[in-house]
Amino acid sequence: MKKVPTLFTRRDVMRKTSTSPLILKISAATLAFLFLVAIFQNFLYTVDPAFSDLDKRLLGPSIGGPWLGTDPLGQDVFSRVIAGFRWSLGIGTIGTLIGVFIGLTLGIGAAWSRKRMRVVLSRIIDIGISFPYLIIAVTIVTVVGRGFWPLALTLGLVCWPTIARVVYAETLTLREREFVTAARLFGIGSFTSIFTHILPALRPTIQVVTAFTFADLLIAESGLSFLGLGAPLGTPTWGNMLNDSRTYMAEAPWMMLGPVIAIIVTIFAANLLGEGLNAREKAKSGRVSQ
Amino acid sequence: MKSRLKAVRSRLIQLIVLLGTISTTLFLLLRISGDPAVLIAGEGASPETIDAIRADYGFDRSLIVQYLIFIWDIIRLDFGVSLVNAQPALGFVLDYLPSTLTLTFLAIFFNTILAIPAGVWLGAKPGQRRRRVLSTIVSVAQGTPAYVIALLLIQIFAVWFTVLPSIAGTGTWAWVLPTATLTFALSPNLIRVVAASIEETTAQDYFRTAKANGASPSVLLMKHSLPNALLSTTSLLGAQFAFLLSGALITEFIFAWPGLGLILVQSITNLDFPTIQATVFVVAYLVFFVNLILDQIFRFADPRLRKSQV
Repeated sequence: MKKVPTLFTRRDVMRKTSTSPLILKISAATLAFLFLVAIFQNFLYTVDPAFSDLDKRLLGPSIGGPWLGTDPLGQDVFSRVIAGFRWSLGIGTIGTLIGVFIGLTLGIGAAWSRKRMRVVLSRIIDIGISFPYLIIAVTIVTVVGRGFWPLALTLGLVCWPTIARVVYAETLTLREREFVTAARLFGIGSFTSIFTHILPALRPTIQVVTAFTFADLLIAESGLSFLGLGAPLGTPTWGNMLNDSRTYMAEAPWMMLGPVIAIIVTIFAANLLGEGLNAREKAKSGRVSQ
Repeated sequence: MKSRLKAVRSRLIQLIVLLGTISTTLFLLLRISGDPAVLIAGEGASPETIDAIRADYGFDRSLIVQYLIFIWDIIRLDFGVSLVNAQPALGFVLDYLPSTLTLTFLAIFFNTILAIPAGVWLGAKPGQRRRRVLSTIVSVAQGTPAYVIALLLIQIFAVWFTVLPSIAGTGTWAWVLPTATLTFALSPNLIRVVAASIEETTAQDYFRTAKANGASPSVLLMKHSLPNALLSTTSLLGAQFAFLLSGALITEFIFAWPGLGLILVQSITNLDFPTIQATVFVVAYLVFFVNLILDQIFRFADPRLRKSQV
């Protein structure tokens, strides 16, 4: 804000105002579509994903038959990829919600509290950030057990540090803004101020971190399933399917195709959404400073 | 000097709190999730075995006493013996450390070589069409998990062309695919950070001044742009280093690479709690040292930090 704005050429302005909403629209539409797939998966199966037809083992992909081929148990790969959407997006969503909630609470709490408490809370965030969370998630899942809810809750409980740090930094600067000080001078309490001033001002930041966290959790979730530590064996998840495909790389390379495309497209859409939101925010604040 | 000691002390406190939290969580989880003796003995163990384990581990005593003994053992770095091969867990884990460290250093090395020039090239003139094509490729690659890259590389180089081995321990060539996997998994992120910081520095006033004064492009880059960009790059590299020590988990598993990641996955599959614990602790110590070294690098690289009392 205080930085003297550099001169904008016409093209810069065009780029800032036009391109980012396009990215936003595409990625948001893609994600929305994928969520619809996850919700209405039952109507999209060509075959029941659990149905195994031993006469049709390891069939290659074809336009008429199984679109993405079949696996060694004669299960339809396409249907299983579709079934994987509910698992991955579900865990991603629940984990992200939990992580964002914890991150927000800790971040705002640390920025809003005074001296000693702030030091303690921000140290907690630092410690959380310094340690790779996947390793903790793996350990917890081992003890608690595999399955949808253990995975979703565990990932949610370990992914908050980055969110908390971003929220903390943002709240610290917001706190010093005039409208927050003015509110304090008018005698408005902390809680009211947080809910009416801080949270709305944080919204763009929260949107961005939510999108990125979602993408990260998708990677973490499918990774854990791939290691055989996430989903129960045999469940149609992308991680499980990729792990199964490792044994048949020479005979049936198509087994990888479906899950790989699904993972990359979903994660890419989520990352792109985060970037689009980020770009929009930057463009806005750029225009404001002008 | 005083501020340096202070930085070390605060990192040390971090380490202690982290280790305390992890071990307490592990302790509680093990107790909450049922009888730990049954869990350790494994499925189908006889009641005598379970009783022996219970007495051996002191599970028949009160929770507080158990917790204190548990913590005391950890302070003495005694994690117990591995349930799989009856070796002391810590020594067992340390045997696997060198191969993880080597892989980590190789990955970081190639990552830096690849990402910094690419990032500089991208960040210098971000609007150009050719560079936007590359930056799109980079953002797709950024979303690709390491194991997908590993599977694709194996499929192409080990299955279709059979030019490279996909399993560890088969000579020098066995290093190629794991290193390539980790490099491709990490570099997109680094490229973007370098590009963004270069782009940021070129928008600064001091940069424009230098340019207006007629500094040549190479001087502008090497003297004015890159040093600043390298600061954020270093912090990301540190994070990636910490990530690799444990996060190479999946890559090590795919390539059967005898490192910390593989041992962690194996001990988890075997419910080998002493080994799990020892691995987590070794990783925590390593991360601690990496952070400590990073602090010093920052102090060296960023003059502002040398003066202030951070």
